Amino acid sequence: MNTGGLILVIGSLLAATAAFTWLSFRIGTSSNPKNKGKKNAEVVFEQAAKEDVEHIFNNEFREELRNRGRLHFEKIIGENAMFLQQDLRQTTSQLNDYMRAEITRTLQEEFKKYQQSIVDAKQLALDSIDKTITTIEQQREFLEQQLQTQSQAQKDQIISHFETQMASIINHYVLRAIGNQVDLSDQLDYILAELESNKQSILEDIKRGT
Amino acid sequence: MELKLPLSVISQVDVARLLRELNGLEDFFIGLAARKPGTPMQPPRLSRLLEQIAVDNQHNLLEESSRGDLSAKLGEILNKAPLLHISFAAEPSGRALESILIWLRQNIHPQVLLAVGLQPTIAAGCVLRTPNRLFDMSMRNHLKAQEPYMVQLIQGAADGSK
Repeated sequence: MNTGGLILVIGSLLAATAAFTWLSFRIGTSSNPKNKGKKNAEVVFEQAAKEDVEHIFNNEFREELRNRGRLHFEKIIGENAMFLQQDLRQTTSQLNDYMRAEITRTLQEEFKKYQQSIVDAKQLALDSIDKTITTIEQQREFLEQQLQTQSQAQKDQIISHFETQMASIINHYVLRAIGNQVDLSDQLDYILAELESNKQSILEDIKRGT
Repeated sequence: MELKLPLSVISQVDVARLLRELNGLEDFFIGLAARKPGTPMQPPRLSRLLEQIAVDNQHNLLEESSRGDLSAKLGEILNKAPLLHISFAAEPSGRALESILIWLRQNIHPQVLLAVGLQPTIAAGCVLRTPNRLFDMSMRNHLKAQEPYMVQLIQGAADGSK
């Protein structure tokens, strides 16, 4: 039995009850001037109504109604549970989506901030590195220039020293190489020529000496 | 009249040796005068140098006055003749030394004496030292004077090799 049938049954019962109540009220009002018989009739009617009610709403019928009500309640509970479950699932799903979206948005914002921080830090580091590179480059150029100047001075000094020493070395070598190999007779013309060129000086010195 | 020195007399040592010879000869003649007659005497042998100087200057060594004159002149030369120190890289030959001495006695002083020395480091030429001055006529000095030119040559070679 569905809900419509149950409502129909309950409606018919309520209509019968109302009909009995109205009928007893009409009978009561119409026989009011009569005394004792009237009271007995009311009692009889009441008892008859009670019996009819007891007869209609007996225990089986009540049990049947209770079972139907329990089943209907269980059905409603089940349906509501299902709806609730669906709502819960939907809510959970929406909540998940919302949470996911929120978390994603928050994470994206945080990531953006983090990324921006990284970019700023990177830019700062790059600026610092650029400054350091510039300073190092200046220092390098300065040192290079200084080194070149010193190197050139040292080179010139070494070359000058080498040239002077080289001349002495060659002189020494020539003197050692010639040694006693040149005969004095071969040098005689040179010696006499030298004496001739120094003749005046020698004469003057001898005169001064004597 | 100045004493004419032979070319064999080069240094003061030669003059001193001549003087010693003359003194020995003088002693001989003194001894000859003091000897007993008949006592054999051996005359001293004269060096060729003494004979030559006596001949060149017309001195008779048998005469006492001539010997005295020669001795006095040699003594004067020993004390007063200009003395020049000349150094060579090697021992000079007699002929070369003679040529130098001829030039010196012809151009500087007729009685000039030489003290010959050795300086192997000069390589060639000679170094002449007068009483107050030094005349470096050696190859060493010549090369040293030419050092700037040599440096110039080295620089040129170095620049050319760059």
